[in-house]
Amino acid sequence: MAYTGVTPSARSRGMVREARHLLFTVAPGASWIVIFLVLPAAYLMGVAFMTNGPYGLPQMPLSLESFRRLAGFGFLGWSPGNLYTLLRSLWQTLVSTGLVVLVAYPIAYYISTCRETWRPIMLLLVVVPSWTNQVIRTFGWMNLLAPGTPLSELAESLGLIAPNMGLYPSNFAVTLGLVYNFLPFMVLPLYAAFEKLDIAQVEAAQDLFASPVRAFWHAVFPQTLPGLLAGIVLVAIPAFGMYVIPELLGGGKGMMLGNLVANQFAGGANWPLGAAGAILMLIATFIGLFVMRRIGKRLGGGEEVVI
Amino acid sequence: MRKRTLKRGLTAFWWFTLAFLYLPLAVVVLFSFNASNSAASFTGISLRWYTRLMGNEEILSAFANSMILAISSSMIALGIGCLIGYGMYRHRQRKLGWLIVLIYLPIVLPDIVFGISEMAFFVQVHRLTGLLQPGLITMIIAHVTFQIPFVALIVYSRFVGLDPTLFEAAKDLYASPTKRVIHFMLPTIKPALISAFFLSFTLSVDDFVISFFTAGPESATLPIYIWGAIKKGVSPEINAIAALMIGAVAVAAVISLMFSRRRPA
Amino acid sequence: MNDSLTLDTAEASRNENVETAREASSIELHGLHKRFGRHTVALNGVDLTIEAGEFFTLLGPSGCGKTTLLRILAGLEEADDGRLAIGGKDITEVPPHKRSVNTVFQSYALFPHLSVRENLAFGLKMRGLPPVEREARVAKIAEFIKLGDLVARRIDQLSGGQRQRIALARALVNEPDVLLLDEPLSALDAGLRSQLQVELLRVQKRLGMTFVFVTHDQQEAMVMSDRIAVLNGGVIQQVGPPREVYEHPVNAFVARFMGHDNLYPITARQGNRLTTPLGELVADQAGEGDLLLIRPETLDLLPGEVAGDNHLLAVVNERLYRGSHAEYRLEVGAGTLQATLNNRGRHLPEVGDRVTVTVAPDDLVTLSE
Repeated sequence: MAYTGVTPSARSRGMVREARHLLFTVAPGASWIVIFLVLPAAYLMGVAFMTNGPYGLPQMPLSLESFRRLAGFGFLGWSPGNLYTLLRSLWQTLVSTGLVVLVAYPIAYYISTCRETWRPIMLLLVVVPSWTNQVIRTFGWMNLLAPGTPLSELAESLGLIAPNMGLYPSNFAVTLGLVYNFLPFMVLPLYAAFEKLDIAQVEAAQDLFASPVRAFWHAVFPQTLPGLLAGIVLVAIPAFGMYVIPELLGGGKGMMLGNLVANQFAGGANWPLGAAGAILMLIATFIGLFVMRRIGKRLGGGEEVVI
Repeated sequence: MRKRTLKRGLTAFWWFTLAFLYLPLAVVVLFSFNASNSAASFTGISLRWYTRLMGNEEILSAFANSMILAISSSMIALGIGCLIGYGMYRHRQRKLGWLIVLIYLPIVLPDIVFGISEMAFFVQVHRLTGLLQPGLITMIIAHVTFQIPFVALIVYSRFVGLDPTLFEAAKDLYASPTKRVIHFMLPTIKPALISAFFLSFTLSVDDFVISFFTAGPESATLPIYIWGAIKKGVSPEINAIAALMIGAVAVAAVISLMFSRRRPA
Repeated sequence: MNDSLTLDTAEASRNENVETAREASSIELHGLHKRFGRHTVALNGVDLTIEAGEFFTLLGPSGCGKTTLLRILAGLEEADDGRLAIGGKDITEVPPHKRSVNTVFQSYALFPHLSVRENLAFGLKMRGLPPVEREARVAKIAEFIKLGDLVARRIDQLSGGQRQRIALARALVNEPDVLLLDEPLSALDAGLRSQLQVELLRVQKRLGMTFVFVTHDQQEAMVMSDRIAVLNGGVIQQVGPPREVYEHPVNAFVARFMGHDNLYPITARQGNRLTTPLGELVADQAGEGDLLLIRPETLDLLPGEVAGDNHLLAVVNERLYRGSHAEYRLEVGAGTLQATLNNRGRHLPEVGDRVTVTVAPDDLVTLSE
């Protein structure tokens, strides 16, 4: 009865068959993504370390010139333009993400307190505007904020803007557009967190703490933290690389990193410089994803957020 | 007492936010019926921008491009993504971390990085080989790239939800590998395939940034056309075409609501 | 054979061997080995012959290899080593969809996208039978298994018992050489379960088909089987008819798995006289082995103290009155003993009574660990 060994044929035949099956099903899609995304992205990163040539096309030798340019060093010495753009991107990302949190948090809470039959409809109402094309949505804001519209005239009469200027183009319009664009991205994960809220904990906290503010801070807020952080990553990463909204609503002084990068390619100005900017965005993206994973693991509530 | 005030405040805030969300869209729709040329004042109802739309060859061709792009890229992505989704399911015991990273890459990459990577790549390939001139083909390639992950994940999750012995029952009941695909797998995942197709289609029609960087001079889609028109100076026709696209989304929203209600819990 | 499920089309539809179509098929297994991964041994050298037309049960605890063996028969798993023949033909390397073998799965595995009728016809359709014949055979099987009014329904409109029947019918309609059943009744409640046990047995007897049945329930195995194979650790421990396996288990594992608790070490023996913790006992056929098995139902209790061979003094510790019989827990010598007494108008001793336990010498069985 001693079991000495296995005829290699049956086992290895099965393994070869499985491996071939894996190859057949996965290879087309995997190679598609490798050829048409991984390779191009790798090439782009390489471009960042090349020198700018005629028509903005990259050439040898390798250099760090484009990163110097990104930091503001040009033929004419140092100028703050690029640095301003970078700082503006960061600032706009911070402000708009903060505002989105301020709006989305009560909205998500409110939806979770409504009758169960209404909730999917309410969520749908929040999400539907983001199904329309980004260009069209932004165009809607251009219509609303242009000089001579009721909103602009109101702002004018309050002395917030100079006469006949309109609310757009401006940095304010860009912030507004970003908040508008990303609100649903924050409401969804927050709502998921509120829906799972342990009511018993909240009630216990209401008994324990005298003020409702403290009860909220100790019982409700920690439970919604995973959803909040997921939302922040979902908003902040794409906001940092936004192109359409600052391009349409910002004008020359509202430019963000996305516009800086795009202009280097669209106008054929300087590919290596644009590529260096893209690397900056990639770094921001991976930091965001890393933070989200770490937090997800630590809080145990590893939210899979799918938009 | 305090609770009721809070609830009332929240209700008011909810309606205010809804107004904020729908105001820009409502303005576009309203001005698409505007009788005058002015973007600032509404003078009366008219359908003249819509009738002008019908005569605008550029818009019609942009619409055709959008449809060709969305349908063909969705079909290709459906085939490729479906295979990956099945492969991920069938080999889920293996360590496929590299594949998961690859699948999520198109989703997490910022649009602008995605777009310029493709553009730089296509330009260089074209310079070196003469292939892949920017146009509908390059746009389809780019769109398929960001659609594949969504199709794969939808199909994968459908397979995971199935009783694994169903695959064995099909084998046991004399179905050859080909017949298993035709008579068991495809009919079983049909709902997932339909929703994956619609999602791919929507993603394609909605995309602007990636299309913008991979398009050629002849292959403008509706969003690209609208973008160009806005940059040139607003024409009221834009309101009309934008309103039509908003209408299409509204119809899709109603349909999705009906579907989500009919589905049992 | 009058009752059997034969149709004019049956012959033409058979995959191969038309002449043996209506005869049941035997199964032969030689030296089957199967490992999962590096270390998990599922089957460790299985040799087995299952007769044509037999209701054969693979019995054992979970992880003993019984399901793996069934899956190898179905072709859903490939053996690492060994041969497998059905009806005298080697099918070791035949893929599952080309084997005239069908399975009733534990989860039933009914296709959710198809109606009951389409589920029943699936196998026939895959084998390329024309629609008219498919319809006829589906109607026939639906009538045979008494589910005529269910065929138009969707799968999610069926109860557990109905699903079980459909799964059985979906396999039977193909008239396979062998029907495999993987714990098909385990998801049902007790009442339905015993009802379907009887039904399944009747179906098998009427069709005369070879059934291979997998279960971990020894009661179910005994009720249904012509023969039982008890498996443990990927090795067959014993093969035989239910009575043989129950009354003469070959080792302690089989005995315990068949529900026996009265197992005692034999500390000394002199011819037929065996010394156990209970006392001294005489066995008729004291074979090899150092364990003594006493089945509870072979014991009798006499009131008071009676002397004699195989008469042991005992105190009643516990009595479970079950109507048709009573179960006793007795203290005997240095051990405890369980006894079952039928309730045929006799005196049933009470807890605390001092009694004498008797057992006939030919009811004692010796076995090895």
